[in-house]
Amino acid sequence: MKLVIDESRCKGCNLCVLVCPYGIFGEGTELNSRGIVSPVLDRPERCTNCRLQALYGRMLCGVCHMICPDQAIAWVEEKPFEPHRVEVEF
Amino acid sequence: MIAPGWFREDRLPHIYCTGCGNGTVINCTLGAVEEMGWKRNETIFVSGIGCSSRAPGYILTDSLHTTHGRALAFATGVKMAQPDLNVVVFTGDGDLAAIGGNHFIHACRRNVDMTVICMNNHIYGMTGGQGSPTTPPGAISTTTPYGASEPAFDLAELAVAAGANYVARWTSYHVKELTKAVAAGMQTPGLAFIEVRTQCPTNYGRHNKLRRVSDMIEHLRSHAMLVDKYNRLTAEGKPVPDGTFTVGELVRRNRPAMGVKR
Ligand SMILES: Cc1ncc(C[n+]2csc(CCOP(=O)(O)OP(=O)(O)O)c2C)c(N)n1
Ligand code: SF4
Ligand code: SF4
Ligand code: SF4
Ligand SMILES: [Mg+2]
Repeated sequence: MKLVIDESRCKGCNLCVLVCPYGIFGEGTELNSRGIVSPVLDRPERCTNCRLQALYGRMLCGVCHMICPDQAIAWVEEKPFEPHRVEVEF
Repeated sequence: MIAPGWFREDRLPHIYCTGCGNGTVINCTLGAVEEMGWKRNETIFVSGIGCSSRAPGYILTDSLHTTHGRALAFATGVKMAQPDLNVVVFTGDGDLAAIGGNHFIHACRRNVDMTVICMNNHIYGMTGGQGSPTTPPGAISTTTPYGASEPAFDLAELAVAAGANYVARWTSYHVKELTKAVAAGMQTPGLAFIEVRTQCPTNYGRHNKLRRVSDMIEHLRSHAMLVDKYNRLTAEGKPVPDGTFTVGELVRRNRPAMGVKR
């Protein structure tokens, strides 16, 4: 699974930046076509849900997508599946 | 997005300001609805007037967007006419506790079987930031330019005193706990009241040195105290920091209720 921000909805509040335990979201710097500074993703394949949702068959963590007031965070299937080498630092 | 089948995606993005907590509360409520396995055609959302009360407009079920303060009166009507419907009310602190205060206490007294979710942002958000009955003492609003001088209502305690069967309070930071509390309220027959302390960065934060969304969230997080801890501290006579409010489940009981499913 792949983490994506729907830039047609994101208003750049950075609440996702605040809550992600892995620091996957970072405050953006560039205005998008809607005049909004959306967060940028840092190695999103580290996200628990990206890695394990398919295996467990349910949402894991998901705090960013619950707190996102603009329903802008989602996971999409990767086609074809791209294996990632993931190093998770604790 | 949570509960994709329940959002009116054609209406998104919604009108709420950047970082407004109301969107988070909609997420958590719909997360709880999905957990309950409710059907769309058996569920109705009712609201009054305010930013918070616009929430049903983004949900793909029948809804009533009623007059200011009267959501609970309309919801009571719906429930008495069609007890088999699942009724959820979205309301704001002004809507529920100022103009609608009487409907609030009587709906709790009657214990009508519905779930009432109050997005308490301590302000009249929609009309530009006037003080509400929950504006904390000292807070600046357009009608309290030198700081609010009146004590604030504790909405959850009010619902407990008035007789609601389930009462909980969380904040828009505590998304998992909030979702669980809403689902628990939906499972409890009788009136379930869930107060959610939310951020209004535009009309509350801006005037109270909490301009950034993260500052508002941090303020909510750091002033929330689990109700068990609060009770323990006060029982031991230990001091509780100023501005602390309790979070968690305040009551779950079995008073006689009205309009429970047949
Ligand atoms: C009968 C009536 N009186 C006053 C108003 C103006 N009015 C609209 S929204 C609002 C306050 C809403 O505050 P709250 O319920 O806290 O909602 P919020 O916008 O903060 O979410 C008021 C006074 C109205 N629409 N109708
Ligand atoms: S689901 Fe959790 S780990 Fe994954 S991006 Fe969101 S907050 Fe971070
Ligand atoms: S929480 Fe949602 S709206 Fe806010 S910055 Fe992150 S993706 Fe954008
Ligand atoms: S005015 Fe306040 S409550 Fe209304 S949408 Fe803006 S932030 Fe939210
Ligand atoms: Mg309000």
